[in-house]
Parts: sequence; structure tokens; C-alpha cells
Amino acid sequence: MKEFMHHLGLLRRMNWVMLAAIIGLIVIGVFFIYSATVMRDDSTKDLYTKQIKWAVVGLACYLGTAMLDYRRLRDLSWAGYFMSVILLVAVLFFGTQIYGARRWLMFLGVGIQPSELAKLAMIILGACLLSPAAEKFDARAPFWKLFLLTGVPMLLVMKEPDLGSSLVFVPLVMAMLFAAGAPAKPLVRLMAGGGLAVMMVLAAVALPEKLGMTPEHQDKFFRAIHLSDYQRDRIEVFLHPGKDPMKTGWNMRQSEIAVGSGGLTGKGFLKGSQNILGFLPRTVAPTDFIFSVIAEEMGFAGALVVLLLYGTVVVCGMVAAMVARDKMGRVLCVGIVTMIFTHAFVNIGMTIGVLPVVGIPLPLVSYGGTFMVITLFALGLIQSVYVRRPGL
Amino acid sequence: MPAASNTINTELRRIRLVLLIMLGLLVLLGGVLFSLQVSREQEFEDSLHRQSLRRVRLPALRGRILDRNQVALADNQPCYCLAFYLEDIRKPGKSTNTVVEIRRRMTELTALMGRKPLISEADIMTHIKRRLPLPLVAWRSLDPAALARLAEARVDMTGVDVYVEPNRAYPKNGLASHLIGYVGKADLDDAALAGYQYYLPEMEGKMGLELKFDTALKGEAGGRMVRIDASGYKHAEQMEKDPRPGATVVLALDSRIQALAESAISDVPGAVVVLDPRNGDVLALASSPAFNPSQFVPIVPKALYEQLNADPEKPLLNKAVAEVYPPGSIFKPVTALAALNGGAVSAGMVVDCPGYYMIGNRPMKCWNPNGHGRVDLRRAIEQSCNVYFATIAVKCGNEAVSDMAAQFGLGERSGIELDREARGLVPTAAWKQKAWNDQWRIGDTCNLSIGQGALCVTPLQMAVMAATLANGGTVYRPRLVLGLQDWQGQALTNYPVRAARQIAFKPGVMEAVRQGMHDVVMAPTGTGGRARIPGVEMAGKTGTAEYGEKEDRKKHGWMIVFAPYDKPRYAVAMVVDDAVSGGLTVGPRLQALMLGIFGEGGTEAGG
Repeated sequence: MKEFMHHLGLLRRMNWVMLAAIIGLIVIGVFFIYSATVMRDDSTKDLYTKQIKWAVVGLACYLGTAMLDYRRLRDLSWAGYFMSVILLVAVLFFGTQIYGARRWLMFLGVGIQPSELAKLAMIILGACLLSPAAEKFDARAPFWKLFLLTGVPMLLVMKEPDLGSSLVFVPLVMAMLFAAGAPAKPLVRLMAGGGLAVMMVLAAVALPEKLGMTPEHQDKFFRAIHLSDYQRDRIEVFLHPGKDPMKTGWNMRQSEIAVGSGGLTGKGFLKGSQNILGFLPRTVAPTDFIFSVIAEEMGFAGALVVLLLYGTVVVCGMVAAMVARDKMGRVLCVGIVTMIFTHAFVNIGMTIGVLPVVGIPLPLVSYGGTFMVITLFALGLIQSVYVRRPGL
Repeated sequence: MPAASNTINTELRRIRLVLLIMLGLLVLLGGVLFSLQVSREQEFEDSLHRQSLRRVRLPALRGRILDRNQVALADNQPCYCLAFYLEDIRKPGKSTNTVVEIRRRMTELTALMGRKPLISEADIMTHIKRRLPLPLVAWRSLDPAALARLAEARVDMTGVDVYVEPNRAYPKNGLASHLIGYVGKADLDDAALAGYQYYLPEMEGKMGLELKFDTALKGEAGGRMVRIDASGYKHAEQMEKDPRPGATVVLALDSRIQALAESAISDVPGAVVVLDPRNGDVLALASSPAFNPSQFVPIVPKALYEQLNADPEKPLLNKAVAEVYPPGSIFKPVTALAALNGGAVSAGMVVDCPGYYMIGNRPMKCWNPNGHGRVDLRRAIEQSCNVYFATIAVKCGNEAVSDMAAQFGLGERSGIELDREARGLVPTAAWKQKAWNDQWRIGDTCNLSIGQGALCVTPLQMAVMAATLANGGTVYRPRLVLGLQDWQGQALTNYPVRAARQIAFKPGVMEAVRQGMHDVVMAPTGTGGRARIPGVEMAGKTGTAEYGEKEDRKKHGWMIVFAPYDKPRYAVAMVVDDAVSGGLTVGPRLQALMLGIFGEGGTEAGG
């Protein structure tokens, strides 16, 4: 009882601004999931009610985690990591195939995406490894260890295939290392290396044709570098959006029209013709392309509100990192904030055509149960760090 | 612990840096969004409007086909349809709600109309999926009684309205069906549909003049822009381009004479052509049996079509231009003109007909086994004496006869604007060598002289021949179409009178032949006396041509006439299958036709 009162007291120290921003994003999400599915006649029509249920579950999780002392996770970090790796292996064998990729595990009638779990497990493990209890701590040692440990889930996610989710691990681990005070030089080198790798992939897709390779040779080449057709298509569409606007480029082009035609104040709720008429593909409008629905119907003003809410979450998260009582709290917050920020940035970037189309949802807003619960769980950890800050 | 606090400071500095980078990236996204949504809004707005506009192709009103007196032979008549306008009926929520509402309205209206709608529930679903912004037609061809009941009805009529569709109609109940043809649902090609999302049913000519003049008749389709709302229903519409109605085709045909011609042969298979010998105008062109094109609109019933196609009397075939027949004795004037014009024979030359003509040691029979005795040209034409024509043809040579036939337009297409016109055949020595690998014999010349053998002609060619004999030697191209007018009656194109050639005759030659033809009808003993009508002097020639297998010989009966004799205005050729003879079978039918044209007592009736 006493302990419970203690926890309640901790809750009163919570960052309420951040909670408000979170709830704001969830509410916006529910409204626009409704808008994106209102024209449907099938079972997906009540996606928004499902989303509300998941949000309630997620918020309960959020409060639970906020009360939980994050330092207890130290004992569970390895277990969590191995669990997520096992699930990632399992999904390759037992996963449900949707649009050519195995990303979902059906579990008691609920679909979960192990890749989302793996990200959080990685952040927790990283935070533990980078903040050992020992006084003497050589920041170099966990550096390589962490890279190796990240590599395993990354490769498994890439295998699903889900290139987008797999690449999210990179900024996440880099930011944690950076915040943990890892030496700058190898980090910069690594970043340069990563940048080079991305450039090479882009070049590999774009160049063979430019160099005049025959289609058969191109196919051979792409098989040699393990780039699947769909990945290649998406990158190509990103590089040449006009190339086949009816096929792979369709989503991107329609999303751009949706966002662009929204104007300053939008066309009004349920009035976005791109959304309602189905130019935005119905399968992705409530999930990956929810931001275009918002931007079309609410215009620049609505889009700006969403950006500001994410900004608020990011700032609150980083404030929690800065006031954290220990290093583990600091690194944990940075990791979680980076995860949420990366998702939001990449998702919005792709809907407005500045990044290639990768299947990454918009945290708290896109329809999706697992991701909602995991995101809220992660944000709960930030609160857990925040309420245990030193001082009053 | 300066070292420790130093580390912490580094960490805090780095966290602040990461935060700044993130905020910077968010600002960057905001900037891109601003440029997309605010600076470049117009550009995307335009793309969007292109996406939410639908173009509907509107068929033009099909042009009419008129006879020379502006009587419509093919016309449009309003077809009243009852349609649902879905944008006024829709119910919120699932589209099945709207379907339920439409069905409810339909049941209500079915009771009122007293007949079932044309559409099923599946049709409604298809319409909602594919043609949402267009009216959904549920009843077609409403009669005035149904319209009246509808006007007085106390049911909810929002979103229900009468919609008028033009329907092709052949008001003269199938008159000149072989000429006019019929229309059917058009198969629109990709080029016609490019740029349109929807189109309405269109008609296109499938046969006859409807097919031949399809491009002119169908006019130019227009387009309507329909802006659809967020749910895909019609929000507003706007005419983009008015359809340009099709041109009116004005025929030389006289529907009164056409009706007379059709009724003259309505009970037997055959054909009639009436020309104006002064200019080649086709006043009537009939083929029997006929079909009623009204039964073919909007869709040809399959069973009916198969039945018509299988009929041995070929009701779908226009026998006046597409069928060939041996002309028999009506060809004899051409033989006479060839012989007289060449100078080998004079009109006064007398031939003794014993009832047969010896070809080598084989006799060729005259139709009168007792012989015609001594006959000159005039008497030979009047009596249609085979021996006389064989004699003069052998004298002048077969080349002279076939040349003359070719000058009259036999063996060539007249170029009339009708499908499947046959060419016919005028046999020559070269033709026989090529076709049968055999040489030309005297017997062939004798057969040719009396219109038998390989010679074959179309009824239209015989009418042209009659017209040429009537006008003294000008071979006019038959003119079926006088011209095209736009829908307001302004002339677009006029088809001039065209003479194929002028045949040069020596003085007196034509007159001699015409006198013989005069006697055919007017003399008490003439073979064509049964065609005579009171008050009008006519000239003509009968013919009977054998066809079919030896055991089952049948005869085509022919007759050509022109009238009035001194200033001919009508030249007619008529052929009847399975006749007793030209004079007996065709004569009375021709009489009926001429009586109709001139009226009792020779006072021309009508316009």
C-alpha cells in the first residue's frame, strides 16, 4: 500500500506536457483513420474503434511503465534481446505473408510485428551496456559489442524483407553511442561509411542502366548484390518519380498530390478527394500514408500541428534525458526519442516525396496495434526516467 | 570529481546537439510542407481537378434520311426512359444502403408503371461501381399512359426523372429497307474513347445507306465534364463540347413510287428499279422479299437474323443491285442497235422466220414454233423474234453486240451508293478463252443476241439501259443521293447529275428501235400489251430467261418500260423469279406500278 502511494506520488511528477502531446497525436490518428476508411464497406471500416481500444491498452501500459523503475530493466535486458531475436527467427518461418513480406506473427488472434519489439529490446540492452555499474568504464569496449549485437536483429529484419525497419536500427544505435560519450572519431567514420553505403546502393540501382548494361546483366548484378526487385523498384521510383507513375510511383505521386492540394487550411474533414475517392490506395491510407490524409484534409496548418506535437515529444524526451539521475536513464531516453523521431521523420518524408517509400508507420498516428502499444510502452519508460529525476 | 562532471557535461552537450539536429530536421520537413502546400498549391490543385473530373462522351443526334420530297425514311423519335439520379438518392454509409433505397423506389414505381424494370440488383451494383455519376435508366420506352400516371403519382420523385433518349425509327414501316439498312449498337474503338471515362450507348450503321453514310449521319460526339464529389457521386456538370448532329441525307427516291414498286412485287421474289431517264435519279429501287428494319433496333434479334439469313428467297439481299440474272429478250434492243449502228443491217431488212434458226446443222428454236414469217426490225422487236436477232447478230458480229452492251453500262458497276453491287458479265471471245478455255462459236453469238448464254445483268443495269433507250443515248450514272444537308437544312454537299457516256447513233437508228418497243406495249399483238394503261403512251420490252437445272427449268420474267413515249420521265426494269413469261407475269405488275405512278386516265398523281 505504501509502495503504491509512493508510485502515485511519482506519477504526480510526470511530464504532463508530453502526455498531452501523445494524446493529441493519438486523437488525430483516430480521426483520420476514420476518414481514411469511411468509404469502405468491408470489415476494415471500423479500424478506428480498434485503434481506440489499442490506444487504451497502450496508455495503460504507459502509466504502468512510468511507475516501473527503469533500472530494474537491467536484469531483463538480455532476456528481452534474446526473446526478440527468437521471435524474429520465428517470423521468418511462421510469419503471415502480406504483400510478399513476412513481418507478422499471429499470436492468439493478435498480429504482432517482432521487428518493433526488437527495436525496443535493442534500445534497452544498449542503454544497459553503455552504462555499466562499474566506476571505471572504457567507452570503447561496448562500442563494437553493441554493433555486433545490433547486426543480428538488423539482418533478420532485412530478411523479412523490411529494409525500412531494419535501417531504423542505425540512427538509433548511433545516437545512443554518441550520447553515451563514445569517442567521436570512429562514430564519424562509421557515419561516413554508412552514408557511403547508402550512396552506393543508390548508385548501384541508377548506374547500370546509365552505363548501358543490358537488362539481363542488370538482373544478374542486382542478384549479386542481394537487392530484391521491390527494393530496386522503390529506389528507382524515388530517383525518377515520373518514370512509371501508374505502378510503383503511384503511391508517391498520389500522396504528393494529396499533400500539395491540401493548401493552407485543407479541404476539411472527410472532404479530401484524394483520400475519399481512393486515389490514395485504400490499403495504405490508414497506415503508412495517414499523414497525407491529414495534410490533405487539414492542410499545412494541420500538418504543422502534427510536426509541433512530435517536436514537443522530442523536446520532452530529451529534457528527460538531460535531467536523468543516471547514465542509463540518459541513454535510454535518447534511444527512445531517436526511434520515435526517426519513424516520424522517415514516414513524413516519404509521404511528401523527399524520401523513398519504405513501409514505416507514423508513431501514435498510423493504424497498428503492436506499434501503438510498443511506442506507448517506450514513452512510458521516458516518464519513468523523468519522474525519478533527482531533486524534489 | 572534475573528470566525472566533465564526462557528464560532454554527454549533456551531445544530447543537446542531437536534440538540435532533430528539431532542425523537423523544421526542414515543415519547410518542405510549406513549399508543397502553400507555395505550389495551385499546381497540385490542378492535378487534383484533373483527377476529380470525369468526361462523358455524348453521342450526336443521328442525321435523318429523307426522300426527294422531304419525307423521312429514317428518323429519330424520342424514347422516354425513367432514370434514377443517384446523387439525389444516395444514403449515407455503405453503398449497399443506397442499393436498398433504389430497390425500395423501384418496387414503388413498378406498382405504378405496371411493368418490371429492366435492371436487376446486380446491374445497380455494377452501375454504382462503374458509372456512379451517370443516371441509372430503369425503364425504357414509356408510353404516354405511363408518363401520365407518373405525372399524377403521389410517390416520392426526388432523384427520379424522365430521361429522353433518341431512338432510331423507320417511320414508313420498313419502306426501302434494303436501301436504308439499319443501325445497331456501336463498338467504339479506343481512339473514339480516348480521354473519356464514360460513354453513352451509340448507334452505328450496319447496312445500306445507314452504313455507307455512317460518318456523315452520326455527326460528331460531344463531351460533358462531370465533377464528382468526394464520394464519387456527381457534384456538378458542365457542357464541354456540344455534339454536332449528323447530316441529313436527301435521296432522289420518291417514297410514293417506292411504295408502289414494293407493292408491285410484294408477293413474289424479284426486284424493281425506277429511274428518271432525264438525269438518272433513282426514284424507286425495291427488292422482294424485304425485311422490316424496325425489328432490328436496337439489337438484331438473333433468331430473326438467322431465319432471314437461311431463307432461300434471300430477304436480306438487295436483288436490284446485288443479284445477277440473264436478261433474255429485254436485251434485244441492244443487239438491234449494234447491228444497225454498224451498218451491216438496215431497219427495213426483212428476215423470214420459219420457227427456227440453223446454226451449222443444229436448229435454234424461236419461241413461236410456227414461225413469225417475214419480219422487219419493228415487227421483230414487237414479236421478240429470236430468228431475226440471231440473223442480224451473226451479220454484225458478236464483238459489235458486246461493245454496244458495254456502252450501255453492262458488265460494270454503276457506282451506286449501295453494298455488294454486282458487276454482271458481257461475254466476249477473249473472256470465253480465258474462263472456259474454248473458242467463240456462232452459237454463242446467237445466244448473246437474245440475251442468253453467259450474259448476266443486274436489274439496276437494265433500268439504266431502259433509261438510255428512253432518252436517246445518254447513259446516266444512277443517282441515289441528291445531297447532304446539315441539321438546320443548309446544303453541305450536292451530288451532281453525272453521265457515264453519250452513245453516238447514226440518224434514225434509235428511232427505229424505239418504234419497235412502242409496239411491244401499244400494238394489239405486242408481247407487253398487259402493261398498257389508259391515257399514257409507253414503250417497253418483255423478256423470259431460263435458269436452273435442265430437269427443273425455271424462268425469270423481265420487262422494261419507259413512259411517256415521246418525253419519257420514267424508265423501269422489273424482274420476277419463277415466272411464266415476261409478258404474262411481269406485264400486269408493271401495269399496276405505272397506273399508280400516272393515276387513272394518265393524270399524274402526287408531287
